[in-house]
Amino acid sequence: MTKKTAIIASNGGLFEAYKVFNIATAAAASDHEVSIFFTFEGLNLIHKEANQQLPMPEGKEHFEEGFKKSNVPAIPELIEMAQDLDVKFIGCQMTMDVMGLEKDAFVDGIEVGGAVTFLDFAQDADVTLTF
Amino acid sequence: MNADKVLDAKGLACPMPIVKTRKEMKDMDSGQVLEIQATDKGASADLTAWAKSGGHELLEQQVDGDVLKFWIKKG
Repeated sequence: MTKKTAIIASNGGLFEAYKVFNIATAAAASDHEVSIFFTFEGLNLIHKEANQQLPMPEGKEHFEEGFKKSNVPAIPELIEMAQDLDVKFIGCQMTMDVMGLEKDAFVDGIEVGGAVTFLDFAQDADVTLTF
Repeated sequence: MNADKVLDAKGLACPMPIVKTRKEMKDMDSGQVLEIQATDKGASADLTAWAKSGGHELLEQQVDGDVLKFWIKKG
């Protein structure tokens, strides 16, 4: 039976973006069915403009060179790869309402739903992660 | 060791070697062998785990300077 991986992304920095999308693409490449629920600051990770310039944690800016040297893919590339691998992105409706954001502010192909949408997927997941 | 296909994943960081391996393997037939060349030091543990979880067989791995080479038979 196909394994399922359920991820909650609730933080909006560059480090979180890598944690979320690396695990998601690796799981999908291992033939897991993957859903990510983006809530609160986590929505930055799939926001069309914000995801191009996610902030490094304060005081960690010196890692920028390491990212370049290690040839780590950019976040928009990882998003495209994740979507190619059929990773499902769910934007949190409640956060979008609070922040006054519409679906078209986000990368194409996302679903919008509430907590129950995610819980329904996560209830029989083999791996559940929160970032 | 003979391979039906060779994947050059040199210079790529995690999770790219795995993503590319999966993509190549998808187009191959069961029993065919893919040779993967990588420089990501994590690839050794990752490809071993990936092959195991996907029902493939890691036939051999070699170190050639900075390059790690793997031969995986599709399950």
